[in-house]
Amino acid sequence: MKNRFVVYVLCLAMLNLGSPLVAQAELVTTLQAVEASTRTQDLAAVNAALAREEVRAQFEALGVEPAQVESRVAALTDSELRTLAGQMAEMPAGADALAVIGIVFLVLLILEAVGVIDVFKKFP
Amino acid sequence: MTALGLVRATLLGSAVLAVAGCASHGPVLEPLVATGYPQRVELEATPFFPQQQYQCGPAALATVLAAAAVEVTAESLVPEVYLPGRQGSLQPELVATTRRHDRLPYILPPTLDALLGTLDAGSPVLVLQRLGAGPLPGWHYAVVVGYDAARDQVVLRSGTDRRQEMPARKFVATWDRADRWALVALQPGVLPPAADFARFMEAAAGLEAVGRRDAAALAYEAAARQWPTEALPQLALGNLAYARGDLAAAERGFRAAARLDPRDAAARNNRAEVLRQLGCVTLARREIEAARALAAGGPLAAAVEATTGKLVALPDSDAAGCPAD
Repeated sequence: MKNRFVVYVLCLAMLNLGSPLVAQAELVTTLQAVEASTRTQDLAAVNAALAREEVRAQFEALGVEPAQVESRVAALTDSELRTLAGQMAEMPAGADALAVIGIVFLVLLILEAVGVIDVFKKFP
Repeated sequence: MTALGLVRATLLGSAVLAVAGCASHGPVLEPLVATGYPQRVELEATPFFPQQQYQCGPAALATVLAAAAVEVTAESLVPEVYLPGRQGSLQPELVATTRRHDRLPYILPPTLDALLGTLDAGSPVLVLQRLGAGPLPGWHYAVVVGYDAARDQVVLRSGTDRRQEMPARKFVATWDRADRWALVALQPGVLPPAADFARFMEAAAGLEAVGRRDAAALAYEAAARQWPTEALPQLALGNLAYARGDLAAAERGFRAAARLDPRDAAARNNRAEVLRQLGCVTLARREIEAARALAAGGPLAAAVEATTGKLVALPDSDAAGCPAD
């Protein structure tokens, strides 16, 4: 009799395990509502948690201070995380205009040296 | 015609075409100014943060944030936006950092018109440019602080140049190659000139999504005043009320949104959930049935099903004080 009672309690407890997951489904957020009007895919299908993990790992690999990684990840929305997760290595990284000028100069210098162009006439 | 003649004709033809291709040598800014903008604008009070090596992202962002009354410097932003492994900064992180300082990151529509209008309204504009050639990208952030239509030039805070004048045509070429990306940092509650509803709401919702709720509330209230017939600002204010535990105010927000747009599945879903929590099960069931029909097969279907699931087992009843419909 006592055993059967324990079994019932355990069964109920196991049934309950599922319910917090259901209860976590909250309201549709404003950002989801905005995105739902511009996109067609199921938002839940693209796993934001996975994207977050991916971005965190890439931040660490790309030299972000460990103390800053969490707050930088937390500042991004789910859709920004999804964008970054896929493209962080290729996205435009605004940097330094001077570096470009330097590279252009270097290329001209090489072309000059191998005789393809002849623009630095003043220099022997 | 001989073969040589044919080749000559073809070459001549393509030369003519090539000239025609870049024949638009007229002024860039003058036609826009003719539509009602001033001849010349320069936001001289815009601060300047000369960039350190590769760090035009922090410098440009500090410029627009400081212009929006945030106390920052380029150095203080380096740990927030600079990515050492890329020797630069990424657009989503400039947007995110603007939010971290409680400013609304509004991405301008990709037109010169929007750029001039924003400058005329007094806000400097952070732009992405592509300065390099061929395989060398040369991505660069700068801040547009003015223009002069008579001289057809734009004025920038750029790199180590406090005041860089650039021919408007050249500026547009470098901006075009960066998909005309432009960011304005707005004080929450301030609308950009000729504000685009969807762009503004996406930026405001971003503030809410990362927990900047006070700033988001000011932006939503401004949107509700500016676009009184749009449902989304009401839904947004309902969500904020829900987040602070005010179920009655949340229900009013969702109801207002559903009245403005009866086909708004998000508003009806959220109203159903809040009605359930208020003990108004009959009404909640009616709302969720409407939401299910609207959301079927769409991006919100799963959320609506979850709300439906919570209502299934409950007995029909409406507590005292439930809305009439």
